[in-house]
Amino acid sequence: MSRPLPIEYGAITPENVEELRKVNAACFPVSYNAGFYREIAVRRDDRLNKFAFYSGKVVGAVCTRLEPISNNRHRLYIMTLGVLAAYRGREVGTQLIQSILDYFEEERDGKLATVDEICLHVQTSNEDAIRFYIQRFGFVKGEIVENYYRRIDPPHCYLLFKKLRP
Amino acid sequence: MSSAADSNPQAGQGRPLPKKESDLFRNVVKFYETKQYKKGIKHADGILKKFPNHGETLCMKGLTLNCLKKREEAHALVKLGLRNDMRSHVCWHVYGLLHRSDRNYNEAIKAYKQALRIDRENLQILRDLSLLQIQMRDLEGFSSSRLTLLQLKPNNKINWISYALGRHGTGDLEGALSVLDAFLNTQDSNSVERSRNFESSELALYRNDILEELAKQQSTTTTNALEQYQAAYAHLMEIEEIVVDRGCWMEKRARYEVHLGKYEEARTTLEQSLERGLTEDYRVHSGYMCALLEVDGTTYDEATLRGGKNGGSGTSGSSTDTLATIQVLSSEQKKRLLDVYQNELLPKYPKSQAVQRIPLTLLLSMDSEKELFRSGVDAYCRKRLIKGVPSLALDLSTFLLEEVDDETTASPGRYRRVTDPIDVKSHPTFCILLDLAKSYIVHLESINKFSPEDDDTTNEKQQQPSEETILWAWYLLAGLYELCGNYAEGMELTDKCLEHTPNAVDVYELKARLQKAAGDMDGAVTSLDKGREMDKQDRYINNLTTKYMLQAGQEEVALERIALFTKHEGNPEDNLYNMQCCWYELELADCLQSKKVWGKSLKKFGAVIKHFDDFHEDQFDFHQYCVRKVTLRAYRDVLLWEDDLFGQEYYGRAAEGIISIYLHLHDANNDPSQGGKGNDGRYGEPDYSTMTAAERKKAKAIARKKKKAAEKKLQQAAAVAEAKKAEEAAAAQKADGSGNNHHNNKKKRQAAIPVVVDNDPDGLELLKKDPLEEAKKYSAILSKSAPKRISTWLIQYDVSIRRGKGLMALQALYKARAIDAEDAGLFERTVDFCTKKDGIASKMNETAKQVLERQTLLLLEPSKSVKEFVGSAKEKIKSDPLTSLPFRAAVAAASVAHCGSSVADASTLVLDGGIDARGVSVDACRDVLETLRTMTKKDGSSKAECDAWIDVVKKRFPLIKNLA
Repeated sequence: MSRPLPIEYGAITPENVEELRKVNAACFPVSYNAGFYREIAVRRDDRLNKFAFYSGKVVGAVCTRLEPISNNRHRLYIMTLGVLAAYRGREVGTQLIQSILDYFEEERDGKLATVDEICLHVQTSNEDAIRFYIQRFGFVKGEIVENYYRRIDPPHCYLLFKKLRP
Repeated sequence: MSSAADSNPQAGQGRPLPKKESDLFRNVVKFYETKQYKKGIKHADGILKKFPNHGETLCMKGLTLNCLKKREEAHALVKLGLRNDMRSHVCWHVYGLLHRSDRNYNEAIKAYKQALRIDRENLQILRDLSLLQIQMRDLEGFSSSRLTLLQLKPNNKINWISYALGRHGTGDLEGALSVLDAFLNTQDSNSVERSRNFESSELALYRNDILEELAKQQSTTTTNALEQYQAAYAHLMEIEEIVVDRGCWMEKRARYEVHLGKYEEARTTLEQSLERGLTEDYRVHSGYMCALLEVDGTTYDEATLRGGKNGGSGTSGSSTDTLATIQVLSSEQKKRLLDVYQNELLPKYPKSQAVQRIPLTLLLSMDSEKELFRSGVDAYCRKRLIKGVPSLALDLSTFLLEEVDDETTASPGRYRRVTDPIDVKSHPTFCILLDLAKSYIVHLESINKFSPEDDDTTNEKQQQPSEETILWAWYLLAGLYELCGNYAEGMELTDKCLEHTPNAVDVYELKARLQKAAGDMDGAVTSLDKGREMDKQDRYINNLTTKYMLQAGQEEVALERIALFTKHEGNPEDNLYNMQCCWYELELADCLQSKKVWGKSLKKFGAVIKHFDDFHEDQFDFHQYCVRKVTLRAYRDVLLWEDDLFGQEYYGRAAEGIISIYLHLHDANNDPSQGGKGNDGRYGEPDYSTMTAAERKKAKAIARKKKKAAEKKLQQAAAVAEAKKAEEAAAAQKADGSGNNHHNNKKKRQAAIPVVVDNDPDGLELLKKDPLEEAKKYSAILSKSAPKRISTWLIQYDVSIRRGKGLMALQALYKARAIDAEDAGLFERTVDFCTKKDGIASKMNETAKQVLERQTLLLLEPSKSVKEFVGSAKEKIKSDPLTSLPFRAAVAAASVAHCGSSVADASTLVLDGGIDARGVSVDACRDVLETLRTMTKKDGSSKAECDAWIDVVKKRFPLIKNLA
């Protein structure tokens, strides 16, 4: 593993949301609908949704949202994390996820006081990603969700999660 | 105005007004000056009730009405007033002011002069007159008006300065100096004018400029010139303490030192300039080289010209030009420079781009130093590839120089930039660059290093390639391919780049440029638009997309794109007009012209012409302001710039566009096959006659739809304008009512701008004008203002020959030949002229006829006839395989028309190697096809030549669309 790529973060706005589409199209086998992009662009929450810039250009992005789990309790749900192939292996993804976790620590007793865990869905065959979350951040493999994806094979996924509070 | 009225308030056919009315009149003047126009009119009406024929009151009322945009009424009233009181200077003055507001300056000057005849010493009128005179460049008149003013008010600094400017303007440099000195001598040594401050500094530098101009006027070698430079130098030293513009002072100092042969001192001065932070200023570097090599003053002046332009037409230099890229130096000289740059400057300024770059330009042309150049440029590129510098290919392209063979000047030789793809491809420096870029890619792709010998450990971290470096290496190579015309290879690389990093906007831009050059304009638009999508706040890419869309003929989408960045209220096109957005209007006009929408195209070209007229008008504000603020050097620059205004490229494009449309209309009107009507789009409609029935139906449906939409828009616009007007009227009323005027001045001025509703948005009125008259008008302006551009004379020929002006046409050919004797357009016209000559001569008198005959023969020199002229051109093509494609086509056409060559024979001139010649572009290839078509049509032979050409072109430009 070579040294981490020095990146900067940038907000996702209606003016540049097209870049997110470009990154996602290059990274994921599934394509997200227009509503997904609209929601992110309009929300303009630069702590949960952000680009990773390297020397002025977008090389990756992470999109997260708050989801309710029960009465007044929430979880952070990672919708997408993508890094352009040419820039992988330089800890861009690690830095992006870490920045989300850092944000939680900052707001642990503030804005995110109702948040208990962070989680995501990952295709069962995506071993690299599973290893990434478990080994690097201590996520735990949860239930298997069958037929989560419609257009890709295998269609099943795991729920990966990490408890943020005891 | 007020002083005029005060000194003789009761002027009026010798009969003074009664007390009450004369007070009223004074108020009228006061209200006019404070812009309370409605009140002014009320008071004027008060006088006119009793004295309906009082001339001065009528005039003042007229003048006030003019400010309320009632132009017609104003003119009538002022004329009436003037008739009633011809001996009043007030009436004449008002008459002049009215003409001035119409920008009818010559009439205004006449009126002012009449007023001055009655009241010789009226300061206000003299001042107004002098402003008009300088605006109209009546320099003698200006000078004498300013002299009168100076004599009347010798204690005013502005009058001294203005008179000095007047003398300077008439070319009387010594006179200007003595005026300035007379003024400065009246100031004692510790006055403000002689201490260190901005105004005194500007005045002193202005005086020094005049001294320098005096020195320049002397022929360079005479001792006289040396004396003058000595004087300028001495003065410069004298004023050192009061000059605040240190940069300019040092620039002048270095220049004088070189002219005086004080090279050591010049070197020190320039070193100080570098130390002050001018390390990236190539003019300073160029000067420094001159001082090191001890060149003469003239060379120094040329090498340090602002912007690095190396003069002459066509050979526009780049901003990185220095002595070493303008003029061929001996290898001793180069070695000397190299030594200083590498051993003195580089250690001192290791981060300076210019200092890193200049040694490369020195190594470049030394055959013995090929390897040094290679390793130097290698290091230069690596650094920039790691950093990610998109302009690297463009930067390197300035290294492609060739010596100009010019027998007329013996020594030293000069350099010219190589730009034609065919020349670039074979240029030795280019081969080195291409080789380097390719080897980077091979090694970056396999081992992520620039070369296998690179060691990870010894180099600093900054010099290691990163993930991104390969992207820039591909980008560089694609850029180099663009330079040498290998568009397909370039596009392959840009596609690789986009796969690697799909959101690198620079790549979209380069890809679009490559697609455009390869003939796929629509593809280029798509690429750019994709790049634009990623950052909708990027005005640059948005504008570029708009431009490409216009070039691809998509004017409606283009308007939508550009509208993203115009003001959001109102019509975007009006906003662009108000912002004087020339590039958009020119591109749109070109687009409409190619679609044969003549009227609207004329309208857009006309808009650009209007902007330039406004630029010319704008200088009016500076005549007073600059003198008051003593920014005299900048003011001189503005005046000289304005003198040259209509020679600017944008003006030339607009004027040539207008001329070419009018000439087309003229030809269509006189073409019997068109029934003399010239229907092609004359009334803003497409040419239906060439379409099939189905196409026609579709086209008409589209036209109907467009018309409807346009009408709707117009209605909306009118409604908005109406509402605005009402609002403004209300605002104006309110403002007028309130007593506090100063606060409302600005608002009022805005309100005074009328809402212009264009009654002729499609320019149909323009189509009714006499085409030749209009063409002549603009061609005359170009001949006067842009005599160094060859296109000026070619178009002047086109206009003159249609007007039957043989000698003017001939003169245009001579002028064009002096600029570039091997221009294809010139060749075509020369041949054309020879065939039309006899017809023209038959209408001339004997003397003119003889001149025409003799001069035509001289034009063909050394050939004796057209046939020989064409023949020698054919020889030239055969002996030089790189002879430009347009020239080949012109010769081929001429040899069929005038030398009895067969089409098959003539077209070999084009087909044999034409595609590998100079001047090959998609557009040129299309033009050639057109020429071949005309040739074969006349001959009645098969289309084999056209098909052969199409094949060749398609091979060279695989993306080309709609060729057949």
